[in-house]
Amino acid sequence: MPPRGQPPPASGPGGPRPAVLLLAPLLLLALQGVAAAPAGAGGTEDSPGLQDAELQRGLLQQAARAALHFFNFRAGSPSALRVLAAVLEGRATVNPKKECQVDLVFTTDHYNREPFCLIPKSLFQDGEERLGKCSARVFFRNQKPRPAVNVTCTRLIEKNKRQQEDYLLYTHMKQLKTPLDVVSIPDSHGHIDPSLRPIWDLAFLGSSYVMWEKTTQFLHYYMAQISSVNQWKTNDDAVDFDYTVLLHEFSTQEIIPCRIHLVWYPGKPLKVKYHCQELQTPEEASGTEEGSAVAPTELNNF
Amino acid sequence: MKWILFFGALIGLSICGREKFFGDQVFRINVRNGDEISKLSQLVNSDNLKLNVWKSPSTFGHPMDVLVPSVSLQLVKSFLKSQGLEYSVTIEDLQALLDNEDEEMQHNEGQERSNNSFNYGAYHSLEAIYREMNSIAGDFPELASRVKIGHSFENRPMYVLKFSTAEGRRRRPAIWLNAGIHSREWISQATAIWTARKIVSDHGKDPAITSILEKMDIFLLPVANPDGYVYTQTQNRLWRKTRSHNPGSPCVGADPNRNWNASFAGEGASDDPCSEVYHGHHANSEVEVKSVVDFIQEHGNFKCFIDLHSYSQLLMYPYGYTVKKAPDADELDKVARCAAKALASLSGTTYQVGPTCTTVYPASGSSVDWAYDNGIKYAFTFELRDTGHYGFLLPANQIIPTAEETWLGLKTIMEHVRDNLY
Repeated sequence: MPPRGQPPPASGPGGPRPAVLLLAPLLLLALQGVAAAPAGAGGTEDSPGLQDAELQRGLLQQAARAALHFFNFRAGSPSALRVLAAVLEGRATVNPKKECQVDLVFTTDHYNREPFCLIPKSLFQDGEERLGKCSARVFFRNQKPRPAVNVTCTRLIEKNKRQQEDYLLYTHMKQLKTPLDVVSIPDSHGHIDPSLRPIWDLAFLGSSYVMWEKTTQFLHYYMAQISSVNQWKTNDDAVDFDYTVLLHEFSTQEIIPCRIHLVWYPGKPLKVKYHCQELQTPEEASGTEEGSAVAPTELNNF
Repeated sequence: MKWILFFGALIGLSICGREKFFGDQVFRINVRNGDEISKLSQLVNSDNLKLNVWKSPSTFGHPMDVLVPSVSLQLVKSFLKSQGLEYSVTIEDLQALLDNEDEEMQHNEGQERSNNSFNYGAYHSLEAIYREMNSIAGDFPELASRVKIGHSFENRPMYVLKFSTAEGRRRRPAIWLNAGIHSREWISQATAIWTARKIVSDHGKDPAITSILEKMDIFLLPVANPDGYVYTQTQNRLWRKTRSHNPGSPCVGADPNRNWNASFAGEGASDDPCSEVYHGHHANSEVEVKSVVDFIQEHGNFKCFIDLHSYSQLLMYPYGYTVKKAPDADELDKVARCAAKALASLSGTTYQVGPTCTTVYPASGSSVDWAYDNGIKYAFTFELRDTGHYGFLLPANQIIPTAEETWLGLKTIMEHVRDNLY
């Protein structure tokens, strides 16, 4: 599906560019119940149902990711971040404008717990359930960013405890010596100094806003690395954090640098401004939380 | 003293014959006088209780250590109580203790695997990896040899380790293990070099790898993209592609896993040199890819091709370039599921299984699709740990756990190949 409203990039050596990343039409075809019958000889025919199931599963995953990023951002708590555990059930419908509504239920796990620790999954800690449960409605606007999300989750951590942990995190942050003597977090070997872990968690919180806005049916992101800390100020009523993060977009495999500026105080809603470098397009995308207009991002499929 | 001999006979009973000791406890019983000795001998003699004396008291006042199976705990406790014998429980669950020790041992073994200074639990430079490959070949000259199969764009050597028990016969059915084709996926190269050492260490001890090598050769390429790897160490940790020059473009490199001749320049690749999935000027334009293709084709007898990547925890089989089902998809799916199960058995790491195109995304010109379309039936892609928390920057302390679990998956596949040679 060619991008709209954009001059095509210069042709490659081979002449006009061939069609790329046709997952989009496949996905939409499948959802509309049309079997994607491949042309060409040889090989066994797929049952369209099997492909549909795979594509549905992918779409539900996308929706879960978008919902979670949004949830994490809104919760505004770096000590209560969640990750996707599993999608339990879901249903997607596509309208004639190729917009996609997904209703789903999924489970979540704590982000902050060190993965692959030795505690067996069956053990509860302090009597609390490890997995949370969320139900969400996500509306993807046909490759446009900023999916609309309505999400509710069971409480994983008791409110007071969460506020306590956030405040503890905040006091740790205040104790960090500024200017921070760091280049990247983690370093090349994946190591994060324990004293710098709060920075990572706060950066992830800010990045959640950015990743929510940028997630579409086809694009999803991970925070790969904090490549620089431009400013780190803690005063009595906020952490003022200006940093550059490298986001990894999975389907294109691109690394997107984003400059993010956030202001956070435990218990207060997060304020975020950001500016990402879109490597493939001449335009740059930016967005703010405070309701100012978000320039629509024309993303190249490739 | 008669009773010492008596107990001595019992100590001879080994713990063998019972595999597991869940809930079994070790009691330390105080022995104060001859009267208590005779009471204890009643207990220990009982056939039903199946007690096992670990240490008999050398004299009065010294305790006796006895292993009590879980089923006998209640009876023994009441007996001791009723006879006024003092005791304490020194091991509350023997199985738990054994498991713990096992874990520790394996951990240390993993750290100490090399007898030189190569730490398998850390990431290394290209030179260090190449040196270690040489070292492995030097330590096991009858089994392993380091072979140069070509060079990179920036003229670095491309080395594989060949593992073979055959002498002189060059064309045994063979397995190709590919790693590090995308340079930023460091867990891939790290797992590969660990695997190399594992193969030589376990050969002759582990029946699985021994029997695999009896019938087949293994070729392991730990760094399929040496220029990219050096670049990730020196300039940009997140570099993916090769470092070849693209005439007319400021952008460097092509995606070596879109450069193979399998639906080259099809769906799931880009013709833009600045893209991370740029397929290159033409199929095999990347010398790193061509080196492998030429070697495999010249050999002519490969049966299995496995490509290690990160991240996402997936185990996939062809196709990436089409949703069309591969003719052997059903068999490959079964093998992959078995392998994923074996992998998960170690630490519970879950992998998703499926064909590349629908499990991750469409990708044309991939190594595994090329291998499959060229008669190498058992073609698989691993996307190793994790699922996005650290992503490419997987902490070094996860190298050995990842390598160990992956090894179980690899062995499952290789055993299947061994038993299904065609």
